[in-house]
Amino acid sequence: MNALELKNVSKSFSGFRLDNVSITLPSGCIMGLIGENGAGKSTTIKLILDMLHKDSGTITILGRDNEKDISLTKEDVGVVMDEVGIPECLTAKQVGKIMKHTFRNWDDAEYARLLQKLSLPDNKQFKDFSRGMKMKLGIAVAMSHGAKLLLLDEPTSGLDPVVRDEVVEMFYDFTRDESHSILISSHIVSDLERLCDYVAFLHKGKLLLCEEKDELLSEYGIIHCTVEQLSELGKVKYKKETPYGAEVIVSRRDAPDGFQLSPISIEELFVFMVKEAR
Amino acid sequence: MKGLILKDLYMMKKYCKAYLLITVVFIAVSFASSENLFFVFYPCLLCGMIPVNLLAYDERSGWFQYSETMPYTKGQIVSGKYLIGLGTQMAVLLILGISQTIRMSISGTFILGEYLALMMLLLIMALVASSITLPFMFKLGVEKGRMAYYIMIGVVCAGSIISSNLLSSGFQAEIKLNGILPIICIVGIGIYALSWYLSIVFYRNREI
Repeated sequence: MNALELKNVSKSFSGFRLDNVSITLPSGCIMGLIGENGAGKSTTIKLILDMLHKDSGTITILGRDNEKDISLTKEDVGVVMDEVGIPECLTAKQVGKIMKHTFRNWDDAEYARLLQKLSLPDNKQFKDFSRGMKMKLGIAVAMSHGAKLLLLDEPTSGLDPVVRDEVVEMFYDFTRDESHSILISSHIVSDLERLCDYVAFLHKGKLLLCEEKDELLSEYGIIHCTVEQLSELGKVKYKKETPYGAEVIVSRRDAPDGFQLSPISIEELFVFMVKEAR
Repeated sequence: MKGLILKDLYMMKKYCKAYLLITVVFIAVSFASSENLFFVFYPCLLCGMIPVNLLAYDERSGWFQYSETMPYTKGQIVSGKYLIGLGTQMAVLLILGISQTIRMSISGTFILGEYLALMMLLLIMALVASSITLPFMFKLGVEKGRMAYYIMIGVVCAGSIISSNLLSSGFQAEIKLNGILPIICIVGIGIYALSWYLSIVFYRNREI
């Protein structure tokens, strides 16, 4: 079963359109939704949760249509938005009590374990938390009610590198259970590159690509050459010319002999594709 | 919905202590100034605004958006606010009811008809305050909804002055005999129910 399926989903606002987006996230996998600010990552997540009503298309979460009994479906979905909307006067302890009466499968012991693991104080008010601590509390809540799918919108922003590493590790552990999946959006591509099985590139509301990460990395390579050598390369996927030479992304199958083909990173591929799309 | 109400109770504990103080002070003053019913009406009006203030805090913290990621329907999110409002209003009505019984008994002016008329007016006052404001808040957001709040304050203050004059000029018995107040009371409850329904409809169509 797929954890998440979006088919031809569109949504228009004044000045922005999320256009015909189709994404499939198989169970047990992690998909990275990569895009610049304003590319439509948060809009996509809000559409999945039916916080925004789509204009067209279909969305299925854990096999259920997202417009039917979405509140029931949300029992199985943990969400971290870019701003964790916990009221300022609440403490982590009070948040735990509220969530206990919110989610059927709330796990007090798991919540306490995560608070300790993430070094979050029990009795400090949310307003006194740093941005990183706020995000960590949001993550602890999302992971303490037996969710099968995590929807994470920029969850690592504001975290220092050490904590970011810990959090990424927690997400990784979460998907060891084959029924668990994650859709994570970020513009910190390095985190996603490490974590994800699938990547989807969004640019100005359009889906540029949605593929398995390892396939992408094995399919493409990057060649550094002079501008004059470009004509010898034949079939080029993307290219970037600078005064110092050219960088070219080619399919490994089409790579000509005599050029050194270097491995490409997801970040490089994303930057090339976005520049090409502009 | 228990979680939503618990969250609001925590917030009330933090932000609404002043309301309790004002209620106590105004009740005390009402003993000294028994002619002026403003001191009885005002705590009712004020407590009617508690859900509105909670909404303002919710909007500022981003709770609206966050609560929509949880297994609540939009109807439950709205109903939580109406229930918390109803709860506080009933609590204040109870406190005012007891205090006015004591005041009237001490001054030897306890007349059942007058007492019931006063309680019905207080109930209407409490219900109407949030009834007018909440649907605007749920439709337009807190900032724009505040305009409705100011209009409501004007309406209720005018209502309180008129009611105060009616009661103190001895019309209350006639009003009760004519059966107008119970009808107004039922209309007030109807307005509250309509407001509740409209808020759910407005909020359901609102995209956060």
